[in-house]
Amino acid sequence: MFVWNEKDLNDAQVAAIEQPGSVFLVACPGSGKTRTLTYKIARLLSELKSDKKRIVAITYTHRAADEIHERIEQLGVDTSQLWIGTIHSFCLEWILKPYGIYHPALKHGFRVINAHDTECMHEELCGAVQGTMLTSFDCAYYFKPTGVVLTCNRTEKHEAIKGVLRSYWKTLREERQVDFELILFYAYQLIEKNPSISVLLGSIFECVLVDEFQDTREIQYAILASILKASKGAASAFVVGDPNQAIYGSLGGYAITAHDFGTRCGIAFKEMDLSDNYRSSSRIVSYFGNYNVLPAKIEAVGTNRNYPSVVSFDQDTHRDALDVELVKLIKYNVETLGIAPHEVCIVAPWWVHLASMTRRLVAALPAYSFDGPGMVPFARDVDNFWYKLARIVLTEASPQLYVRRMRWAGEVIAGLGDAGIDIPELDRKTLLRACNAITIAETDGLVFLRAFFDELCVALGIDRHACVSLQEHHDAFFGSSQKRIDRLVNEGSAAIAELAMFKKVFAGRTGITVSTIHGVKGAEYDAVIAYGLLEGMVPHFSDSDQVDAAKKLIYVVSSRARKNLHLISERGRSRGWSGDYQPTEVLAGCAFQYDQLST
Amino acid sequence: MHISRLQLVNYRNFERANVVFNKGVNTIIGENGSGKTNLFRALRLLLDDTLLRSAYRLDENDFHRGLGDWRGHWMIISLEFDEVSQDEAIQSLFLHGTGNIADGVISKATYNLIFRPKAAIRQSLADLTAGDTAGLIKARSKITIADYETIFTGKSPADFLDPATYKQLVGDFDAVEFPKELTNPAIGGIIPGMLSISREVCFTFVQALRDVVADFQNNRTNPLLTLLKSRSGEIDPQSFEPIGKLVKDLNDAIVDLPDVGTIRADIRETITDAAGGTYSPRSLSIRSGLPDEPDRLFQSLKLFVGESEEQHEGGIHELSLGGANLIYLTLKLLEFKYQKEKESFANFLVIEEPEAHIHTHIQKTLFDRLNFDATQIIYSTHSTHISEVSNVENINILGRHGGRCEVFQPSAGLDTGQIGNIQRYLDAVRSNLLFAKSVVLVEGDAEEILIPILVKKVFGLSLDELGISLINIRSTGFENVAVLFHDNRIRKRCAIITDLDRAFIDTTVDTLDDEEEAAAKKKALGSQVAGLRREAALKLLCDGNPWLTAHFADHTFEVDFVSAGNVDTIVSVLGDVYKDASTIAASKAELESSDIACFGTRVLTMARYAGKGWFAIILGRMITPETVIPDYILDAIFKVHVPVSVQTWASVLDYRLSLLANSQLHPDGDIAAMRVQIGRYRRGEIDFGGVRAEMLKAFPADGINTILASF
Repeated sequence: MFVWNEKDLNDAQVAAIEQPGSVFLVACPGSGKTRTLTYKIARLLSELKSDKKRIVAITYTHRAADEIHERIEQLGVDTSQLWIGTIHSFCLEWILKPYGIYHPALKHGFRVINAHDTECMHEELCGAVQGTMLTSFDCAYYFKPTGVVLTCNRTEKHEAIKGVLRSYWKTLREERQVDFELILFYAYQLIEKNPSISVLLGSIFECVLVDEFQDTREIQYAILASILKASKGAASAFVVGDPNQAIYGSLGGYAITAHDFGTRCGIAFKEMDLSDNYRSSSRIVSYFGNYNVLPAKIEAVGTNRNYPSVVSFDQDTHRDALDVELVKLIKYNVETLGIAPHEVCIVAPWWVHLASMTRRLVAALPAYSFDGPGMVPFARDVDNFWYKLARIVLTEASPQLYVRRMRWAGEVIAGLGDAGIDIPELDRKTLLRACNAITIAETDGLVFLRAFFDELCVALGIDRHACVSLQEHHDAFFGSSQKRIDRLVNEGSAAIAELAMFKKVFAGRTGITVSTIHGVKGAEYDAVIAYGLLEGMVPHFSDSDQVDAAKKLIYVVSSRARKNLHLISERGRSRGWSGDYQPTEVLAGCAFQYDQLST
Repeated sequence: MHISRLQLVNYRNFERANVVFNKGVNTIIGENGSGKTNLFRALRLLLDDTLLRSAYRLDENDFHRGLGDWRGHWMIISLEFDEVSQDEAIQSLFLHGTGNIADGVISKATYNLIFRPKAAIRQSLADLTAGDTAGLIKARSKITIADYETIFTGKSPADFLDPATYKQLVGDFDAVEFPKELTNPAIGGIIPGMLSISREVCFTFVQALRDVVADFQNNRTNPLLTLLKSRSGEIDPQSFEPIGKLVKDLNDAIVDLPDVGTIRADIRETITDAAGGTYSPRSLSIRSGLPDEPDRLFQSLKLFVGESEEQHEGGIHELSLGGANLIYLTLKLLEFKYQKEKESFANFLVIEEPEAHIHTHIQKTLFDRLNFDATQIIYSTHSTHISEVSNVENINILGRHGGRCEVFQPSAGLDTGQIGNIQRYLDAVRSNLLFAKSVVLVEGDAEEILIPILVKKVFGLSLDELGISLINIRSTGFENVAVLFHDNRIRKRCAIITDLDRAFIDTTVDTLDDEEEAAAKKKALGSQVAGLRREAALKLLCDGNPWLTAHFADHTFEVDFVSAGNVDTIVSVLGDVYKDASTIAASKAELESSDIACFGTRVLTMARYAGKGWFAIILGRMITPETVIPDYILDAIFKVHVPVSVQTWASVLDYRLSLLANSQLHPDGDIAAMRVQIGRYRRGEIDFGGVRAEMLKAFPADGINTILASF
């Protein structure tokens, strides 16, 4: 059985891991949630008595899945009986692919389209709508078991949006395509209509682990509950998350209670919590405690607990002086306090504010480098075959990356299989060798990738033009990447198209991170600098419960910081006819002894 | 769970074949070259882990030759499993890939291998306009085997043998109509290669004529090692400890022997002398290598078996081949039992021709008693002795028609009563009919003894050469066996030869009849009525059944034999039957009387007096090439032996010609001239009518002319 060193885990973590049966674990920020999950999975894997059983772990992002997978492998535990991935991948692999022949929209085969494709289709359809101004942004939707939910809060637009969506779905159906929302909806329909699916899956899974449950949607709960209930107690569940960090309410995510989920699954959950924060200083912990929606007793116990944190709140800086202020804060943290640049993170609620700001910061701080979604020159569509291949192409063969690249190679081969291409002699090593053998003298990233892919196809004897899905993925990958690069270049990041920028994406964190609030979920930094904390953005104007939504967002932002936290509600952002945006109310209303930065 | 059906489409010598399996022991019987090995190979492509790679390397030679041009066609191997349950967790992973969901439950599973053109090719065929034959020829000419893909699917509800299904999935090559739909859900859900179904079940293939001793010596194939390994992991460390200590002590004790020490010192000294101190190894010791870990120690165990009465137990290599095979099969079965304890829910043991391994009597016992739950055994055989023991319901018969193999289920569509009757009839001898190309059923010893002799003497051919098995039913209960030959069951020809028992004496009741005469008349009448009833029943049975015919002697075999023109033959054996000269003379007169009431009664009296079987044997000695075969027997022979090939007629004529030559009654020139004609006929230069006319012209008196005349 898998055992760990005494120092690896604290008592609460050990208790959660050793607790038999199903556990509902509320884990505060920095409490070692991922570590607990990792060790729990390792333990479950080592306890498996049958090779016909699987451990299934649902994570919020592919990145989290990869990270946990790798960590378990590093613990020396065999992961052949582990399935880990997002809920979408789960539905795809375990429900849609095996049981698609039982669904009228899937039985003739299907292809998954990415967000970029959806956006393009929506834009086109919106353009044709008469009388109502619609953008693809208005067309965002998700499914509940009862039907579609539109995220646009302008109800007067709903009729027009529904019209757009109906044509959109019709096209998808005709083209035999599914988008991410339909993956969940069809999975739900299949499972509802064919109870056998839940019975089988329920007896294949020894345990279902769910990470970040607070951002899980109704339809996802329904799918998981159906499987767990059908197992009649044979499968256990391990549900982890933090209701205080539920920031996807606008997309239907919500934190279910242990009791409700237990009733639906036919499971009696043991409720446990992790309340020791290993990440932040006491000052930071006491600060974000102000934004609890649900009561939580959190104690700072890590090495930073006595750090003399600087927590500042700035309502005076004008948006035009924002870059100067950010430069000042970066320099203060890095040059004065000696914090490494890659331990600094700049967050803002909306992507649009970040892109131009990054450009200005790059110009103002030529000695620094910046990482962030705005600095990724291609679409990170993990289901895209060419993206999968790009990961191998853009990384160098090295002992550190060996395990990861081997796994990527496995995914590429599986992707070929899905596309109907079977190359008998191709295994992971030969694929990596073939990739390593190719050299392309080219500095433009996309040109490089295009040439590299072509050469590799020749080397492996693949005719991508003959394969519909590969060609489609190819078009999507290069189409959306080109569009992205064009936009970034327009916004001033001229160097973004260069191969070096492409390679940096997989090189790990080296510079200052620039991210949206939703994007820093799960991450941590020594210093966090947040701006755009303005009512209407934080909370988002469409959030239903404005006070709670604001609290959770600020809770998430503040709890990312280990040492220093700088919050800015800048002046002078115009909100059209209603004047300027005002500071987020719950933030302005918080009584706290902020530090004044000496300037 | 068990395999309930195997369907083959366009695979090797099967154009379309349906093989049905039941729980427990199943038999596949068929002549050599009827496709038994290919059928097993198909099964193994799906279930044998070691053949998984071959499944991805099918090529044009795997296509059924009868297709002519394979390009564009699909090859399908489909397995159906019955008695599966979604409520058994152990089956879940298997059913996740294969279980057919119907009406909310899973009661069957299917697993198929499909070898088909890749999507681009299928698209190019779909793009053709209906009827565009030229376009199809062009499109097909571009197809190579590299354009093909192997996919595994599960959950398919399709009946691939149905030509309509094939047209729907693959297309209609004659009408040039190909499905526009490239992904038809009827083929089921595609099972990704990584979810290997073969890993979910336990499959063992025992090949014919394998070297069992070598299997025992090879660590990978030794079944004993597998058994020991499965146990060694579970050994209680505490109970092993004293053994481990013993082994260690033993190892030390051996090394401590003074002789060992001396040898060690000598080696050391010699090395140093030879290589010098610098280049000699720094240390050297002799150790006993008996392992003291359970795993490795277990592997050093060997099986010793005492085979005969003696007290000696020898190693496997000392055993007789049969004995070694028996042990091998037994260990394999035990392996299944162990696996069952560890989580295998389905075991399949496929044995090719067990008669090659073990004496038939042992096999009978083995298969009779074998009854492991969740273990299905499928074996092929051409031994009638084994088929006797197997249940006719669990039999598949393979037959070959030209290049095409067919599979029959002899009991398909029969009720349990009928099956029970067949089962009772099929002893070792009668089981022959399952293997035969065609069958003639007779009711008694006389026919069984004389018909082969008649055919041999008159045609120069044995029944075997004609592909006919003659089966003596020893009664008139033909229906019980004849039901086997039917479109739904064994599609081979069967002719029934029986007596109509029509009375040949005047049966009019006369007041003057004495008691004996009255009884004889009554008996004859009774037989006649029974005969008519039998005739009606058999005609009904044969009606509309192209595989079955009935042929009747008007009266009784012996009587009809005489009336066919063989009085002299019977007369010639009078001396063997009777000793009394006056009886012989009286009998001779009766036989030659031409009055059926007289010669009929006499020949039957003779047969009864000598015993029907013995009489037939005596008669058999007197059969000559000029003996006349009664018409109804000839009819039966040529009803089942169809078509009569040119080669068969030519051999018959050659035989008759050699008889004529031996008789020295004909000029050599006539013989040679006829031989030339037969040669021309053989080469197809003249037809049957031609050679028949030549024969009649050259040797008008020869008996064969009468027979030839009726064709």
